[in-house]
Amino acid sequence: MIPDNSQELRILAGEYVLGVLDAHEADEVAAALAVNAELRRAVVFWERRLHPLSSLAISAEPPSSTWLAIEARIRTKTAKPVAKSFWINLALWRWSTAGFAAAAAALALWIAITPVPGPNLVAILHPPQQDQASWIATAGRSGLVLRAVTTATPPSDRAFELWAIAPGATQPRSLGVISPNGELRLSRLPADLRDGATLAISIEPIGGSPTQLPSGPVVYIGSVKAV
Amino acid sequence: MMDNQSAALSPVEILIDAVGHGSQVALQRLYEIESRRLYGIALRIVQRREIAAEVLQETFLQIWQNAAAFSHERGAGAAWLTGIVRFRALDAVRKAGREVPSDDPRLGDEAVEPDVIDKIGASVEADALRRCFKLLDPKQQRCIVLAFVDGLSYSEVATRIKAPLGSVKSWIRRGLHSLRRCLEQ
Repeated sequence: MIPDNSQELRILAGEYVLGVLDAHEADEVAAALAVNAELRRAVVFWERRLHPLSSLAISAEPPSSTWLAIEARIRTKTAKPVAKSFWINLALWRWSTAGFAAAAAALALWIAITPVPGPNLVAILHPPQQDQASWIATAGRSGLVLRAVTTATPPSDRAFELWAIAPGATQPRSLGVISPNGELRLSRLPADLRDGATLAISIEPIGGSPTQLPSGPVVYIGSVKAV
Repeated sequence: MMDNQSAALSPVEILIDAVGHGSQVALQRLYEIESRRLYGIALRIVQRREIAAEVLQETFLQIWQNAAAFSHERGAGAAWLTGIVRFRALDAVRKAGREVPSDDPRLGDEAVEPDVIDKIGASVEADALRRCFKLLDPKQQRCIVLAFVDGLSYSEVATRIKAPLGSVKSWIRRGLHSLRRCLEQ
């Protein structure tokens, strides 16, 4: 139902931002956002351009207890795993054409210098709302190498942790904490890592998530492709 | 060019950046600056104070969780926050149903005036939107404001202005089409 026609696509994005679509249609657009870069750009266009209209709503003082409630919920949330449905949505992520083009040159170089012989799986990770390639993972029989291709540093007192979601799986599995120099090497190929799997990087406490699941926000994501 | 862009980052974008790096103090400051505006947006859509307060909580939790993935572009911070609170408010309305609009003027449920667009303030973005909005016919303007500001769906807009659903859809879609062409110029 997501139109191929670029004009129609932009109108649909406008309807989505206005909030006039019914729940089913809105869900369909939300799911397509994960895989359709043009749709994402169109949604951002409308969010920014229509934003001044929101000043027609009159500012009002929220109940005084609101901030304390937010603070309390943040404290309990930090140790809480990300909801399952989030991972189902993540599994929908695929390479966008734009993301692929942006990363192609870096990828070619990276494959040439990677010490893993004959990598046959590649993933380019980018921030969820952007196409900029930030990490490249190559994997094969002899293991996995993940390396940052842009400057990517976690917040102070935090670390990046790499996760794999096997095709069709609803839960991620940790592949380990990324070292401060922006690199992670595994000497064996994880079972979850195959064509169609998803790799994700979350922000975690030093040493990794205290639970079996990511406890912090996912800041990079990418699909694993056989090459 | 980079320097100009960094210099033009508003306090909101700088705070979102700090929140993305895990600063709870920055989140609190963001709340101090933005909570009244965001609460007003939520209240206009959900029409009930206790639900609007819940929406505001959810909004700041989402900001806390997603700030690290926010892309830093000039002027985009406030629009990003507005997008979050509007979607949370629309979600709350879908789950809880909508209150019949009250006549309490403090809830901001005023009728949409013909020249309402003149009230959207002064910024480069507002000027562009105002200029383009005035090219739309009054019905298109009214439907788009009811959808964006009051958070009404197609069928709710149709009920509110007592017009056929098909006409409302076509006014909004044609309005969006004209707006996009004008805004992209």
